[in-house]
Amino acid sequence: MAFSGALTLSDLNDFISPSQACIKPVEVAKTSDTQGSIKVDNTGSYYEVSQDGSETKLETATIKSVLVTMQSHEELYSILKQNAIARETNDPSTHRTVVVSISPQTRASFAAKYNQTPLQVARKMTWFFKNLGVHSVFDTSFSRDLSLLETGREFVARYKKAVEKGSIKAPNLDGSASTGPKGDGDMDVDEYTPKAPRKRIIRRGAAGVADEPAVPVEVESAMPMLASTCPGWICYAEKTHGYMLPYISETKSPQQIMGSLVKNHFGSQLGLNPDQIYHVCVMPCYDKKLEASRSDFYSDIYSTRDVDCVITSTEVEKMFGEQGQIGMDAFGELDLDLGYNSVVKDPVTGADQVLVGASGNASGGFLEYVMQYAAKELFGVNGVDVDQAVGVEVKTVRNADFREVTLEVPGSGEVLLKFAAAYGFRNIQNLVRKVKTGKSPYHFVEVMACPSGCINGGGQLKPVGDNYATVPLKDWIMQVDQQYRNGVLARKPEENPVLEQLYMEWLGGIDTPKSREQLRTGYHAVEQNLINPLAVKW
Amino acid sequence: MLWRQDQGGHKRTIRSVAWSPDGRQLATGSFDATTGIWERDEDESGDYECVATLEGHENETKSIAWSKSGALLATCSRDKSVWIWEVEEDNDFECLSVLQEHTQDVKMVAWHPNEELLASASYDDTIKIWRDDDDDWYCSDTLVGHESTVWAIDFSPSGDELVSASADETLKIWKRFVPGNALGIVTQRRGEPIWKCVATVVGKHERCIYSVSWSKVNGLIASSGADNTIRLFEVKDATAPVGTEGRLTAEQQKALNEPGVLFEADKVADVRKAHGTSDINSVAWYPNADHGDWLASGGDDGSVRIWRLEDDRGKLSKSQSQIEDCDDTTDDGMLLSRLKEL
Repeated sequence: MAFSGALTLSDLNDFISPSQACIKPVEVAKTSDTQGSIKVDNTGSYYEVSQDGSETKLETATIKSVLVTMQSHEELYSILKQNAIARETNDPSTHRTVVVSISPQTRASFAAKYNQTPLQVARKMTWFFKNLGVHSVFDTSFSRDLSLLETGREFVARYKKAVEKGSIKAPNLDGSASTGPKGDGDMDVDEYTPKAPRKRIIRRGAAGVADEPAVPVEVESAMPMLASTCPGWICYAEKTHGYMLPYISETKSPQQIMGSLVKNHFGSQLGLNPDQIYHVCVMPCYDKKLEASRSDFYSDIYSTRDVDCVITSTEVEKMFGEQGQIGMDAFGELDLDLGYNSVVKDPVTGADQVLVGASGNASGGFLEYVMQYAAKELFGVNGVDVDQAVGVEVKTVRNADFREVTLEVPGSGEVLLKFAAAYGFRNIQNLVRKVKTGKSPYHFVEVMACPSGCINGGGQLKPVGDNYATVPLKDWIMQVDQQYRNGVLARKPEENPVLEQLYMEWLGGIDTPKSREQLRTGYHAVEQNLINPLAVKW
Repeated sequence: MLWRQDQGGHKRTIRSVAWSPDGRQLATGSFDATTGIWERDEDESGDYECVATLEGHENETKSIAWSKSGALLATCSRDKSVWIWEVEEDNDFECLSVLQEHTQDVKMVAWHPNEELLASASYDDTIKIWRDDDDDWYCSDTLVGHESTVWAIDFSPSGDELVSASADETLKIWKRFVPGNALGIVTQRRGEPIWKCVATVVGKHERCIYSVSWSKVNGLIASSGADNTIRLFEVKDATAPVGTEGRLTAEQQKALNEPGVLFEADKVADVRKAHGTSDINSVAWYPNADHGDWLASGGDDGSVRIWRLEDDRGKLSKSQSQIEDCDDTTDDGMLLSRLKEL
């Protein structure tokens, strides 16, 4: 089940087709070895840049096929081959340091399929990639800590700004006033309050056909704030719901923060320019390839991207096969690289390395972290734990892919914060409708295009037998979800000992121009060409 | 006049309209990719006003349908998807599902007359049956057999059968077989019924068939299309006695796991040139017994015509029903009224 079947080459009209089944992208045969690249400009148009620098504007279907070609494990092979030649010919100018960053969802997918622990998967993948000639193997749960911290800070800042501007009312902590984002009329956030008597006709006109808000929405105070890690959702919003863009968090995703870290921080530590590093991310999702190609993450100075190549879990599995590996049993193991990994000495067994990571759901835990952080920062409520439903009410609304998490003043029922997780295409539709019609009662929404979230991304492994006949899809997702936490010790992002140093030494502090440049981004509505009857094919 | 374009109406052609079962709301599916929900202003002018717009389809909305209870609304589009919306309070609609299993343009959606079960017909030549399991809608069956676009579908009065009209110039009748059915038709998935073709009407229409309507009152099937003719069919039991010459025995059918021909659809009437030399894009029986003998047709000539069956038991005599070159002045009593385009 994935909205991101994403790179379905068959459909011209969508980055993310609202599909109900994981779609394996059409294999695109590489037609030449030319090292072209693809570029996304500020209007959301895609250009293919050939070696002579000429640019060709691309149709969406072409974009996808080019992306699949440009960002594939074949590209990684060719870079590694180029490095080998550079070593043989003693030509350091064509040698690049190759870094692979692996997502925790990928780890979970391999752990479930090959009966390993996530730590074993991490160690074996480190072994595998280093055998191929990769220099460093990192873990995007490291950069996710930064992404979580920034998302939390951004939310708190927006909330305060929204209160200041009067677009939301600060709750009265003795519980006598209502709170929540203000709608286009009198809106009761408290669902137990009887609804206003039904008006005979609600004049909403052809609500939403015109995509213009009555009052411009400002990014700095737009509520609800919507999580930004899912590229399927971002592409969809940019293409079809430009109105939603100010609501989307400007914090970069863990993948792209890892890109900043590797190209900028890691590079400077090694004395390398960004273009001397080739950075590969291993992701559960095909749309992450599109994200990596955005012009926002491209350096004109060095003609390089923060993330050069995204390959999916399934592509890594394919690499195993191509390297003569069946399963992971015969793999060696290597200790994880120090640096951008999330490992500590096991406090119980004393083992050298055990995985750590932020708690929360298997899509990254943004809802859980922001709730816990905002409860503390805004209202001084400590000890909120969404996973354990401590201090908050957690409710599944309508379907398993729509959860609401509410923080109330104990006893009074006064709502302090109302968050939601909306996964899958249908729930995104309903969220968009709510926001457009001013009926959203939420302060923060974790939006994910795939039903069940990233753990069920379109690039994740299929269970053994390559079908869901033996293992029903729901059971399979549950197994992968369990592996996501298996043997991973919970650690709050702010307890990551390296981050403080990074903020101080690399970013020059919190909320500095450099930290904004490295950790935040922006979005661009794509011009609609919807109603051109002449272009319509019947 | 129901509405004007300058009052929040659609930006492009309206392709499909449907009254909610309580008659209070009208849904309009448009080529502008949206679905409009309209209510009549009770005082003042009595104008219709848009009270909600459902967005989500990427391009042309082709058909819309309300479920029997009025609690659900289905839409389909050239974007190959079928959407199911739940009707909530205050003219709010919640998207329950986006079904993306058709491989081409979806031409029509139709709800079962009593159950929350949806059928959709597509340019991919198939019909799909959709059911829900705890609010998760899924494709319960795919009906393969037509050799070209399936333009229209309608359920029988009981809902156990479905008629489909196709560009392959045939009508097909499909029947639902539940697990453990008397004919021994194997149902593949546990607990899941299976639909099988039990009759094909060949050689009656001479061109594409665009529309079909199965009267919930008199049981007659009306069909129309590019051959400018409205035809009425009566469905009869064609279950052959076991061992009848030329037919498969029950055992043989069972072995093939095909029910064979269970119905015959006899043509009982036709109206040639019902809209002159224009294609007839749409036929629809009156939905209930108030005027169960009424049939509406819409043609490329821009007119809607209302027809009445002479015999309300459905035994339409041929002499009365053969109307050549009909027009307003026909005094056969067949043409009840005629509406010009507004």
